[in-house]
Amino acid sequence: MLPLPSFQYEAPTDVVEASRLLSEPGSQLIAGGTDLLVSMKHRLFEPRLLVSARRLGLRGISEHAGWLEIGAATTLHDVARHPTVLARLPALAAACRTVATPTIQTMATLGGNLMLDTRCMYYNQPAGWRATLGYCLKREGTVCHVAPKGRGCYATHSADTVPALWLMGAEAEFSSARGVRRVAVSSMYREDGIAWLRLERDEVLTRVFVPLDTRRVVHRKLRTRQAIDYAQVLVAVAGPVSPGGTWTAVISSVSSSPILVEAASAAELSEAAFRACQPLSTHLAPATWRKKMVRVEVARAAALIG
Amino acid sequence: MPDEIVLTLTVNGDKHRRLIPASRTLLDFLREDLGLTGSKHGCDVGDCGACTVRVGGVPRLACITLAAEVDGEEVQTIEGIGAAEAPLVAAFDKHVASQCGYCTPGIILSLSHLFEQDPAADDAAIRETLGSNICRCTGYTKILAAAREVAARGGQTR
Repeated sequence: MLPLPSFQYEAPTDVVEASRLLSEPGSQLIAGGTDLLVSMKHRLFEPRLLVSARRLGLRGISEHAGWLEIGAATTLHDVARHPTVLARLPALAAACRTVATPTIQTMATLGGNLMLDTRCMYYNQPAGWRATLGYCLKREGTVCHVAPKGRGCYATHSADTVPALWLMGAEAEFSSARGVRRVAVSSMYREDGIAWLRLERDEVLTRVFVPLDTRRVVHRKLRTRQAIDYAQVLVAVAGPVSPGGTWTAVISSVSSSPILVEAASAAELSEAAFRACQPLSTHLAPATWRKKMVRVEVARAAALIG
Repeated sequence: MPDEIVLTLTVNGDKHRRLIPASRTLLDFLREDLGLTGSKHGCDVGDCGACTVRVGGVPRLACITLAAEVDGEEVQTIEGIGAAEAPLVAAFDKHVASQCGYCTPGIILSLSHLFEQDPAADDAAIRETLGSNICRCTGYTKILAAAREVAARGGQTR
């Protein structure tokens, strides 16, 4: 039994009020809660105040001027079954459908997936487990057990929907009491396992915009089991806009930020991806295998584009 | 700001109104506060599916759902199954799809949602759905047999 720490709870009905609550130290937004509550049970987060997104009116999908607007609190289940997503953005539907399990997809939200904490076998563990190792660099400790001689935290970016959204040219809207800003999904992350997100603490991810005239994207997730597991390698690939144009891949689950790779041909793309990615060993797979599988998965995705 | 909330929840048709800690999970509310122990405490971190209940008809993992987050909703637990789920339960009996039984309540609620959506669900859909629930006894063979029988009858679980 892993009890939750105690906290205060508010469910505001507008984003400005939510932002005001989030600006206070020790407050934390909860959407689907499928990762957050587990992390709280593990004492990775012990917020003083949970600010619920459930009454913010951020659920639903609509189409405006060539963009699909997806409310950040729309569940992955609903995104994956929306007719426009299935018809025009099948890689997004596929990505949503590979998250964890079907039941988790009915709870977890698209916004939550974009904001997903970076993961590590030494971090996503119960407090007692972590205590035996003196904790780790990402939380409460001073040493990274993955790379003890390294200088940073290597927790991996593992959000299944991000590589596909990145290649589609998706944008995310953040609201706060200070205003609204809209940024490319590709600019949201940085290569730092501890501070992986470019975000102010009072900002609420409100909507995700996906252009409907996007290039065809193929998403692939390599994992040990076809349910529950996070990816060993996560790739999305897009072909050239016109003949002779650039092939593009975004690879995730191998570093703290997704990695963008471009090349003149599909064959060069998989080689470039192989060179660009330096995955670390996990308890499920050695680094050498994961690195080779980056090449294989990019090639498989490119072959599906043709 | 409150660290307790007044929760209003309809569980298996009965309306409840209780003052609870904001940190109460839906699973603990059902098991400890209401005494409905059919929803099981398995992994406690959302991996195993033993705590699956339906909220507004949709399967949810009660161990990683705050009771506060489903305030005002209708919850169905294994104690609340009825005629709609009877063919599924009968198929589980016939195929001995339950051994230790710990995973069974969650699997019944996952599959009942599937067959409500798609009474003649194909094998791929059944397997995808069962990805939500871990069973360590049966190897899934008997569970699949039971689910296939229900699907073959066009989903009389409706």
